[in-house]
Amino acid sequence: MTISMFQCVLIGLWTGLCLAGMLLGIYTNRCLIMATGVGLILGDLPTGLAMGAVGELAFMGFGVSQGGSVPPNPMGPGIVGTIIAITMKDAGIDVGSALALSFPFAVAFQFIITATYTFATTLTSVAYKALDKKDFRTFRMAANLTVIIFAVVGFIIGFAGAFSSDGLQKVISLIPGWLSTGLGMAGKMLPAIGFAMILNVMAKRELIPFVLLGYICIAYLNLPVMGVAVLGTAVALMVFFNAGKKGESVEEVEVEFEDGI
Amino acid sequence: MASNRLEKKDYIKTSLRAYFLQNGFNYGNYQGLGYANMLYPALRKMYRDDDDKLQEALKENIEFFNTNIHFVPFISSLHLVMLENDTPTKEVRNIKMALMGPLAGIGDSLAQFCLAPLFATIGASLAMDGLLMGPILFFLGMNIVLLLAKVLSGLWGYKLGTSIIATLSSKMEQISNVASMIGVTVISGLAVNFVKITTPIKYVAAMPDNQEKIVAIQDMIDAIAPRLLPVLFTGLIFYLIKVKKWTTYKLVMLTIVIGVVLSCLGIIA
Repeated sequence: MTISMFQCVLIGLWTGLCLAGMLLGIYTNRCLIMATGVGLILGDLPTGLAMGAVGELAFMGFGVSQGGSVPPNPMGPGIVGTIIAITMKDAGIDVGSALALSFPFAVAFQFIITATYTFATTLTSVAYKALDKKDFRTFRMAANLTVIIFAVVGFIIGFAGAFSSDGLQKVISLIPGWLSTGLGMAGKMLPAIGFAMILNVMAKRELIPFVLLGYICIAYLNLPVMGVAVLGTAVALMVFFNAGKKGESVEEVEVEFEDGI
Repeated sequence: MASNRLEKKDYIKTSLRAYFLQNGFNYGNYQGLGYANMLYPALRKMYRDDDDKLQEALKENIEFFNTNIHFVPFISSLHLVMLENDTPTKEVRNIKMALMGPLAGIGDSLAQFCLAPLFATIGASLAMDGLLMGPILFFLGMNIVLLLAKVLSGLWGYKLGTSIIATLSSKMEQISNVASMIGVTVISGLAVNFVKITTPIKYVAAMPDNQEKIVAIQDMIDAIAPRLLPVLFTGLIFYLIKVKKWTTYKLVMLTIVIGVVLSCLGIIA
């Protein structure tokens, strides 16, 4: 399928909005949200939702990486991956393969964002100079410029991604069958990274029972997600009230796991 | 010092300006520009006819600042209360800098490590069933809770003054403990649910009565522990992160290589 110019512009605007939302802290820079929007714009909501779900689970943990490492950006699967998944649905590319194929874009986009933050460092001196002259208007403009740049960068990425989807399709159609099957398999395994990263941040010795509880709920009991959350809440509250009775708070111990799960 | 008193609505307005905290984000002073801009209307009101004071106050606040965007109103409210009570600038600055780190920790453990994974996984599993409700629930859930966090933390800072910080953070720690328990339960459950690895390997076993039987390895694995392969793979990744300190990029490359190679060899599907 081809994408009309109007759809390209819409995808650009949507990407700009979602990326700006990353700075506003409104959680629009998430694969689940971005892919749903792209699905609506391209008239294929089911694929958008499926891609959003798969990408969200894979990229969920990347937002939480600490320290100096720069995490890949969910615009990769959320925008480019969804475009690939929708336009190449009939060519045998499933959402898992689209996720794996969109990964290089996720990395590239994060470099663009890092570059934007670095460039925006000049805003500080602009703001100081403006304040020296008591020019409060320019000060406020400088204080809002990063988010405006983000919206523009997002628009360009979304528009370019949609606009070049024909070329993208040609390149991807060159990928042999065994490789795209393998990439699809890898796509199904990628969520493990996201989950492991979050568990790594949260993991404490006293939380091991809850790891097991989650496993039992799904593997043996086949509970729906809400059910797992409610059961988890019930047990967490029991622990909380018991700790309250003893008049001591749960001790935090960092432990080194040999093999966590 | 202050020529015009702030009202409660000014505090709420400043709290809501937390949404703009990162609008000037950069690698030089992180949220510094945004913090000064967040306080701007309130400072403008306090120093209505005094551009010199306003200039001074803004300049003081451009310096490096970095905390959790959803709980920053606690700091800004406290900040404004202290300014209104003519607290020396140096003291205000100390409190601001002292609160920045702990509040970032509390805020991140609640928003990033508990709320977001919880709503995201629930939203994603609804989306997987083709329900538009999934992303909508994720978006509304996150934003309603975080809006409340902004307003409430702003009002707390306004009401409580400076003495109460210690008890507040211990309470927050309990809340975030309960939150992590729920979070870990859901996340480990979902890891098992969404990481999909099975093996198609079958072999022919000779039975005692000279009959042959096809045995699927997957059935054997399921009998030992259901979904063992996803658990082992997630455990491997966890080990590589925790012990080997692998970066995301290496992990993704490893996953793609394992996925492609093992599926080509017909070991996993």
